[in-house]
Amino acid sequence: MKELMADYYTRGAEAKEKGIPVAWVTAVFPVEIIYAAGLFPFYPENFGAVASARKLADKLSSAAEAKGYAHDLCAYSRCGLGDAHSREHPVGEIVKPDLLLCCNTQCGSLSKWFEVAGRFYEAPYFLLDAPQIGIEPDELSKQYYTAQLQELIAFLESFNGKKFDYDRLREVMAYANEACRLWNEILETAALKPAPFGFFDACFHMAPIVTWRGTPQAVNYYRNLQQELENRIKNKVFAIENERFKLYFDHIPLWPKLRWFSDICASHHALVAVSQYTHSWAYSFDLERPLESLAENYTEAFVNRVFDYRIQRKIKLMQRYDVDGFMLFSNRSCKPNAFGLYDKKNIISKITGLPGVVFEADMSDLRFFSEAHVLARLEPFFEQLESA
Amino acid sequence: MEYKEIIEIFKGAAANPGGQAGQWKKEHEGKIFGFLLTDVPEELVHAAGFLPYAVNAEEGMLDFADAHLQTWACSFSRNSLAAAVQGKLSFLDGLIIPQTCDTTRMLMGIWKHVRPLSFMENYRLPRQVDRPSAGDYLHGELKRLKERLEDFRGREIKEDELTESISLYNRNRRLLRRLYMVQVKTPQLLSSKDLFTIIKASMVMPREKVNFLLEQLLAACEAVTGSDHKVERRRLLISGTLLEPLELLDFINEKGGLIVADDLQNGSRYLEADAAENGDPLEALVQRQLKRMPSALYEPQKQRRAKYLVNLAREKGAQGVLFLHLKFCEPENYDYYDNMQAMEKAGIPAMRVETAFGGIPPGQLQTRVHAFMEMLGGEDVD
Ligand code: SF4
Ligand code: SF4
Repeated sequence: MKELMADYYTRGAEAKEKGIPVAWVTAVFPVEIIYAAGLFPFYPENFGAVASARKLADKLSSAAEAKGYAHDLCAYSRCGLGDAHSREHPVGEIVKPDLLLCCNTQCGSLSKWFEVAGRFYEAPYFLLDAPQIGIEPDELSKQYYTAQLQELIAFLESFNGKKFDYDRLREVMAYANEACRLWNEILETAALKPAPFGFFDACFHMAPIVTWRGTPQAVNYYRNLQQELENRIKNKVFAIENERFKLYFDHIPLWPKLRWFSDICASHHALVAVSQYTHSWAYSFDLERPLESLAENYTEAFVNRVFDYRIQRKIKLMQRYDVDGFMLFSNRSCKPNAFGLYDKKNIISKITGLPGVVFEADMSDLRFFSEAHVLARLEPFFEQLESA
Repeated sequence: MEYKEIIEIFKGAAANPGGQAGQWKKEHEGKIFGFLLTDVPEELVHAAGFLPYAVNAEEGMLDFADAHLQTWACSFSRNSLAAAVQGKLSFLDGLIIPQTCDTTRMLMGIWKHVRPLSFMENYRLPRQVDRPSAGDYLHGELKRLKERLEDFRGREIKEDELTESISLYNRNRRLLRRLYMVQVKTPQLLSSKDLFTIIKASMVMPREKVNFLLEQLLAACEAVTGSDHKVERRRLLISGTLLEPLELLDFINEKGGLIVADDLQNGSRYLEADAAENGDPLEALVQRQLKRMPSALYEPQKQRRAKYLVNLAREKGAQGVLFLHLKFCEPENYDYYDNMQAMEKAGIPAMRVETAFGGIPPGQLQTRVHAFMEMLGGEDVD
């Protein structure tokens, strides 16, 4: 996996050398279009996650803070902006964009960060705007998004100086369908009791589905992983020892403390089996109507939905994986996913009767992490779980 | 009425917004629709026959929000939610939240569970404003909102009703813009804090009454010409999302400062840009929205905010720029670097202060603002 990601970064640098334009792109952006347009997609969020896992987020952030960016902004953006503004590049220099493409379903931090980066690197920026949708999808938002996909294609045609290739788009979308199908089958194995695979494994293996969906490499990657999981099941190799509980987890992991956190869960024989986060990439495209289908899949994702829809979605996942409890991470970096969790916890517990816990920390920045606080929240939760 | 009396009426409404709204409700047996800043088309609410009420003047006790919204959410959203939890907004029949940032995108869901009202709608503004798709979409979104209001009142909103409301609000904005000039030209009559207090009060009072009072106030004030000229005033531009606390303006005035321009949601952003009074009224509201001054909340393709601010400062002869950083307001914070750089390049002195609804010791703010004013050569006014 590490090799694959290293390869990915090398390819980014190579793309630059070969004159293939690098497009910065966000995790929930229809990357299928970028592949079809022959550009190299680079994910700055991934850069942030790598920096965070290497415990370098605060270091990079300080360079951004020196320029007036506050430490309460999303840490991924502080990593990216910090890298832009400093001479040292402890995680390797971020691949500079030739253009920036952002979709704001996930959050508004990305759209501001990309806007700022577009000015910094003097590269054109395109915002694919997605109004939030309610319990039921609405025509208006879909039409708006589809119209913008057309605007995006026109923008790319003028950037590339050539016509957009819809046949190529269909081909890319077919690969994406296959990668998403495999990825979701893999995630499903976490429902087995005991399971060979859990959320932390999913975090480890999710980069290809985020960054390469639409390529044969992603399909191969998950075919191999699926094979490996089948072997694991055959040989009774499980994700944790003596699995007793299954848990739901929201949302992004605590990158710099991933091991610490997963060890705590494992010590209680609790497998974190499912999260809306890793289930975000579950697209299924209709190749007959590519743009509309992209619009539906991308705008109807939970990240673009209202509070009540998100509650329903979480409960469905909890039921499907038959979990015994849930942990909600109030992630200081990620306002859209954190705001509302306090009430969601109470509502979900009331509906499902499951024990739940909310804890405070940051996905990247250890200045906002207190081991004592997290433990003080988790311990009573595990006690509750064990006494149930 | 003496102009001072009129100012007192506005001050009274700003100090006790709920009280005056409750009284209106009793007298008119009407319905009150709260909205959060910014950019909500009050005209639509007014045309439906309801009183639009800006939720931004209440002093909520922030702790009341703690069980629902993290302490690291901006104090504007926390303050608004806290006021609702505390029961300070119990006169509201409806609520419209404009979705302009991650916080406002999440707030409605929480509010619905904490203090449900019979009408609760998000207003989903387009966040890019320059491509053709934005206008088409916004027209559809306004139509959706209009239909929801019609369902609620049980009757269609006619075109001429909406046009009438548009013209009422246009008039209100024109009057407030004139009042802004009174503050610039004759600061001895109207302090900056008085001006912004009147704007704040306008957002919660029936607009017909506001316009009536403003006309009298302007008649009295515009008759006076010439500033007191005791001291030479330093001309300032203020930039940020929301200005709070308004005492900050006193700190500026005390040191001989004057507000000549701003881009605040509870300032010029609220007063600028009228809507056309002929043609399709929904389209008029669309066009107004798309042509508003740049802000951190919308992606500026054609009009870069930093450049806009430099031009505005030059045009209004501002000698300094005060940036407000409403703590935890992400969009505004992302713009700061570019804005600050632009001022440096243009040779316009600028400084940033951190502000919040409640919680920032006034003395600390005063010291910061005074230091900046002194740097600009401002002198004490007494
Ligand atoms: S962590 Fe949250 S705020 Fe940051 S980029 Fe991801 S979705 Fe946006
Ligand atoms: S002050 Fe900033 S963060 Fe708060 S609601 Fe307004 S735009 Fe959003």
